[in-house]
Amino acid sequence: MANNSALFAQTLTDWTQGTFLAPVPLWVWAMVSALVVIYLLALPFGGIATYIERKIAADMQDRIGPNRVGPLGLFQFAADAVKMLSKEDYVPPAGDKFLFNIAPVLVVVGSCAGFVALPLGQYLVAGDVNIGVFYILAVTTLIAPGILLGSWASENKWSLLGGLRSAAQIVSYEIPVALSILPVILISGSLQVGEIVKQQGWNPDLPIAANAHFWNVVHNPFTVFAFFILFVGGLAETNRIPFDLPEAESELVSGFNTEFSGMRFGLYALGEFVDVFVMCAMLAALYLGGWQLPFLELDKFWITLPSGLIALIHVGVFLVKTLLLVFVVMWLRWTLPRLRVDQLMGLCWKGMVPLALFNVLGTAIWVWAFKGQSMIQVAMGLFSGGGSSH
Amino acid sequence: MSNGIKLILLLAEILTVGSALVVAVNPNILYSAVFLLFSFLGVAVMFLFAGADFLAATQVVVYVGGVTILILFAIMLTQWMYRLKLRDVGSKFIVPAVVLALGLVPMLHRGLTDLARMVKAAPPEKMSEFAASPKTMEIGKALLGSHVLPFEAITILLLGALVGAVWLARPKS
Amino acid sequence: MNLLDFANSIEGYLLVSSILFVLGVFAVLTRKNAIGILLGIELILNAAGINFVAFSKFHSAAMDGQMVALFIILIAAAEAAVALAIILRFYRLKQTIDADEASLLRN
Repeated sequence: MANNSALFAQTLTDWTQGTFLAPVPLWVWAMVSALVVIYLLALPFGGIATYIERKIAADMQDRIGPNRVGPLGLFQFAADAVKMLSKEDYVPPAGDKFLFNIAPVLVVVGSCAGFVALPLGQYLVAGDVNIGVFYILAVTTLIAPGILLGSWASENKWSLLGGLRSAAQIVSYEIPVALSILPVILISGSLQVGEIVKQQGWNPDLPIAANAHFWNVVHNPFTVFAFFILFVGGLAETNRIPFDLPEAESELVSGFNTEFSGMRFGLYALGEFVDVFVMCAMLAALYLGGWQLPFLELDKFWITLPSGLIALIHVGVFLVKTLLLVFVVMWLRWTLPRLRVDQLMGLCWKGMVPLALFNVLGTAIWVWAFKGQSMIQVAMGLFSGGGSSH
Repeated sequence: MSNGIKLILLLAEILTVGSALVVAVNPNILYSAVFLLFSFLGVAVMFLFAGADFLAATQVVVYVGGVTILILFAIMLTQWMYRLKLRDVGSKFIVPAVVLALGLVPMLHRGLTDLARMVKAAPPEKMSEFAASPKTMEIGKALLGSHVLPFEAITILLLGALVGAVWLARPKS
Repeated sequence: MNLLDFANSIEGYLLVSSILFVLGVFAVLTRKNAIGILLGIELILNAAGINFVAFSKFHSAAMDGQMVALFIILIAAAEAAVALAIILRFYRLKQTIDADEASLLRN
């Protein structure tokens, strides 16, 4: 593991030196911090996302939406959770009890484990592993077997059809998603998410022409396309409209989760929302500069800000970027119709995979030809005379 | 390395072996496939502890996200939905296979550890440095440097497998 | 020797890989189902990967072992894809995936 593999945990270890907690080893703190991240962020996000989604849906359809529980209906998700817990614990009698029980857990584990490597702020990463992006891609693959096994265990033809569709879709769209992450890795030369975000900032110490390596999305013409491919591929990976064929309610009742009720259904829903959040957070970190505020370096501001405030601003910036993307995802749900299965596969294999490959090749040539400079840097170089500033 | 971390490795090894046992003996082929997934995950953790971080992630992406899904797909497409129970174990090889299995484990293990003792090992400080270093960049350099020939061969193999699998599974016409 | 230390030694890794290999061979020998045989082959390939990685860490402190393990993973993926395509083809022909039924050449 890298020297900063557990920044947050290291901080906790340092803080507790000299107190009665001093003998607690680092790896316990690493686990504690991972759990804290999941409980403080992933689970409430899952709940609040259902509320936001229903409010947005209501707004777009000119309804009011949930407004009974708490102010503005804000505690609707808590009421939902209580309702789910009190539902009958139903297992299809002809189904497979063991698989029925572990399938939702696989989905939740897969999506929540991705949280650990997300950089909330400059020093706020539960575990900034040095294979960061690859790690997130790896753990989120657990979702596909979770959905497939749950659909089989339900002993229901609609479920099985939904599960098979979901698995085919996730496996296919993994390819354009991975290929659209590659340009960022080519540009930054690192898989570590914290390092990738750090490179997208504005460094006041350097002359202007040398440092406008801005957000990766505007690094070169190809990354713009790669950003959109990653977003669309993320929609398909998380089974969101217009790619929600696995639970197409007009054909498959409710798809892979038809037979799931109570808390098991809740786990599936939570896993889906958390997966959406992880996808959007990854997009924000890789292409939109993560916690970096555009044009500002808070450490070298004209007044000295306390470090706690800077950390808070960073977290806020990162969450705003992520939630904006989440909002777009929810917006699309009420805007676009659902694709057919053959259109879905055609879009992936005939449209997105070739385009993503082209992007990788184009970015590689760009990085080689312009020595890693971004569009803005190249333009500034031309503007300030001759273009041969290197 | 503290004892807690070693305990995680021990649990991963137990998970690997236990799941592999279920894979080998469970009569239900679907359960075998599911436990194969857990076995793959255990192997990935073992890779991680052996200083192979990139390899561990590759193991999860390729096996859990690819091979297991393919196998589950094939099982679900070839079994009638309500005839899942496969009485599978019970072939004529079962007695020789048990004998072979019981005899082969100690033999293999003994042979491999003897081999490990015979081969000259690297100095310990180099080994601890190797275990802690990130491997992604080294793997990239090796793929385009010292191991470029197998790398190219693999790309051709993968292309061939892709085309061959599509051709084999083409619809009847 | 302490069990925890054994788990983190080359003997521990080699023991796991030996057991995995033998269980894989066992599955290949006893399964009638073609997919079951494939599961056994995957176990065998994983055992080989563990061996390479273990020797790479505890013995040579060089990248070669990990490179071979990487190639093993890639070849296993290609092999699984082709094998499953053959199995699906066979299923369409015979409506079964029992490996003993694959005897068209015999008569």
